[in-house]
Amino acid sequence: MANGKLKSQSQGDGAEGPDGGWGWVLVVAMFVSTSLVFGLMRSLGIFFVEFVQYFEESAQAISWISSIGLAAQQFFSPLGAALCNAYNARLVVMTGGFLSGLGLILASQATCLVHLYLSMGVLSGLGWGLVFTPMVATVMANFTRRRALAVGLGFSSIGLSSFAFNPLFLLLVETYTWRGALLILGGLSLNIMACGALIRPECLSKASTKVDSQSRSSQPDLLQRVSSYLEVSLLCERPYLTYALGVTLLNFGYFVPYFHLVAHSRQVGFSEYRAAFIMSAAGITDIFGRIASGWFSDLGRFRVVHLLTLWSFLAGVFIMLLPVSSLTRSYTVMIVISLLYGFCSGALTSMVFAVVPMIMGVERMMGGLGLLQLIESCAGLLGTPLSGWLRDMTGNYTASFVVAGSFVLLGSLTMTTLPHYFSCAEPPPPQRPVLVDNSETLNLELVQKDGCSPEFNHQTAEQRER
Amino acid sequence: LARYVAKVAIYGTHGFPYSICIRRPPLCFNVELLNPVNLSLECIWTGNQNKQPNITGYWRKGGMEIQDSRVPVDPENQQYTLQRVFNIVSEEHLGNYTCVFENEAELDFILAVPQIGERREKPIVSYVGDFVVLTCKMEDNKPVPRTWNWFKNNGTNKEQLFEAQRYDITVNGRSAKLKVKDVSEADSGVYHCAAVYNISTSTSKMHLKVITIWEPLKPFLSILVEVVILVTAILIYERSHSKKKEAEGTNACFFSLF
Repeated sequence: MANGKLKSQSQGDGAEGPDGGWGWVLVVAMFVSTSLVFGLMRSLGIFFVEFVQYFEESAQAISWISSIGLAAQQFFSPLGAALCNAYNARLVVMTGGFLSGLGLILASQATCLVHLYLSMGVLSGLGWGLVFTPMVATVMANFTRRRALAVGLGFSSIGLSSFAFNPLFLLLVETYTWRGALLILGGLSLNIMACGALIRPECLSKASTKVDSQSRSSQPDLLQRVSSYLEVSLLCERPYLTYALGVTLLNFGYFVPYFHLVAHSRQVGFSEYRAAFIMSAAGITDIFGRIASGWFSDLGRFRVVHLLTLWSFLAGVFIMLLPVSSLTRSYTVMIVISLLYGFCSGALTSMVFAVVPMIMGVERMMGGLGLLQLIESCAGLLGTPLSGWLRDMTGNYTASFVVAGSFVLLGSLTMTTLPHYFSCAEPPPPQRPVLVDNSETLNLELVQKDGCSPEFNHQTAEQRER
Repeated sequence: LARYVAKVAIYGTHGFPYSICIRRPPLCFNVELLNPVNLSLECIWTGNQNKQPNITGYWRKGGMEIQDSRVPVDPENQQYTLQRVFNIVSEEHLGNYTCVFENEAELDFILAVPQIGERREKPIVSYVGDFVVLTCKMEDNKPVPRTWNWFKNNGTNKEQLFEAQRYDITVNGRSAKLKVKDVSEADSGVYHCAAVYNISTSTSKMHLKVITIWEPLKPFLSILVEVVILVTAILIYERSHSKKKEAEGTNACFFSLF
């Protein structure tokens, strides 16, 4: 009996995958850690004014801090994924939490701008990179039928925490100035370590299953191991590349409204508060969109890729409608379009992650997510300056929004070229080429893995009983 | 001395209230003065339905009637005019001037130096040993002060601060900065910046609060303790849980289907 279970686990989860139970605890952990990573990143604007005054630097120099942080988070994602494959997710997430907290604590002692770049940018960014991808991949590995809902719930924290963190950070800065506030934020970030502690280490670690049975006898060389941890082989597969391209195109346009919607509304003629409220409206429906689309896709009526195409298509359309609706100069119309856009963009975020295991299988999900983050980071970095440049050239934001919307539409069209797109049923997820000939071999591989002795002993005991 | 004319016409409808001065433009004028000046203030009132033949008009300063300012006002072309020239030389001549058409209408002229617009309500916070910069800026649509001075409240009186080892004063026309280096707790208190014009000075105050590193350290350490407790609790729970599972003989490794 245990034999059969071993086989189906190594072949990737079928209908009997884990669902619920401890998984929901991990969803809470993901909720908290994502809010402490992205919610925190989004609210760093509060410190912007303080830094400009204290360090007497230009706005551009200061905004590099958050750019470096975001870039580091995305750049180090494959590293985080690889370390999880090599060791275990719990260790990586706890280290990431520690590093991100340490970065902020060191930033509170900064005496020049470069200190901030290195501590708040690089060190904290490294920590965030080690936290995000492993956390998402772990949650997804713990669910099968309710995967999208779990991911949606986990991501809903980003919107909620941006709401909560803005006034909180403002209060901290007013009471303790930016130094004290960063110190306290560093302490708050250390809570990610508690989130990481909730991850239960798996017994069947990647370290053993990755090793090809042919090279099992000899020690696989370092390069082979590293490339397998990083899932570099994925880069040679067409479905993955198509998907990565689609997500990159989505990212070109996705962030533009967040950066430019307020400025565009003010340019059209709305007051500061009304413009800010348009943005908040999008933020509110974003939260609902994430959860609702996760729940809906788990109902199983439609394939996840189809839903992803639908939501990204709608999001692209609404992004393009935003400048058109502002032509009517009607506040209600802008609010409605903004609400719809927020819902669709939140919905597509859940789907983007839920599709990943369909394309590459659950085992390679960790590395695949890491690489995906790295690839889409270029789009995120280039998309906003591009739209800013368009705005400078044309004098208003219409061109930027239209271009952004068209990128999103292009991305959704690219998704349709994925293999088996037009079939109604979900194709079987691709297998990792692992030779599982007989249970003896698998047990031998288990011997190489340490730290799991109680379960392992139990396994061999079961084997012997048969 | 230059001669300026400030003129305002009050156009009324019948039945308007006794005092039509609302403290907002255009029915009250804020006249900002830099230099001593001969200022001519003129009020024109269009009257109401009663069409009285003569009205007494007079001027008030700061609520008190100015001596010898009472004159009878005759309507000309249905308008009542009250005009007077004031010699504004120094600070005591500034204030609130009111032209009064007795029992009918009033208009305020508020003569003052340009006020410093931005007021920082919340205290500025700084740490012991760090530096802090206090800034004051006169808005762009207001005239540039002749110079700036900085003061600190010492007990009940203001003590002027000068460029010294610990104080760096930078004056740049419209803005002034006071940099206090190597701040200590004695530096806490109320500071005033004063924009000096020929006729008077305009001040703005701000509160500096100096705290030690211990202030934010308290919440930080409590969060640290909370994290350590959480992590240990989680790990201990898991250890006891897995021992229990091992004793029960169930396999908790591959599936968590509980």
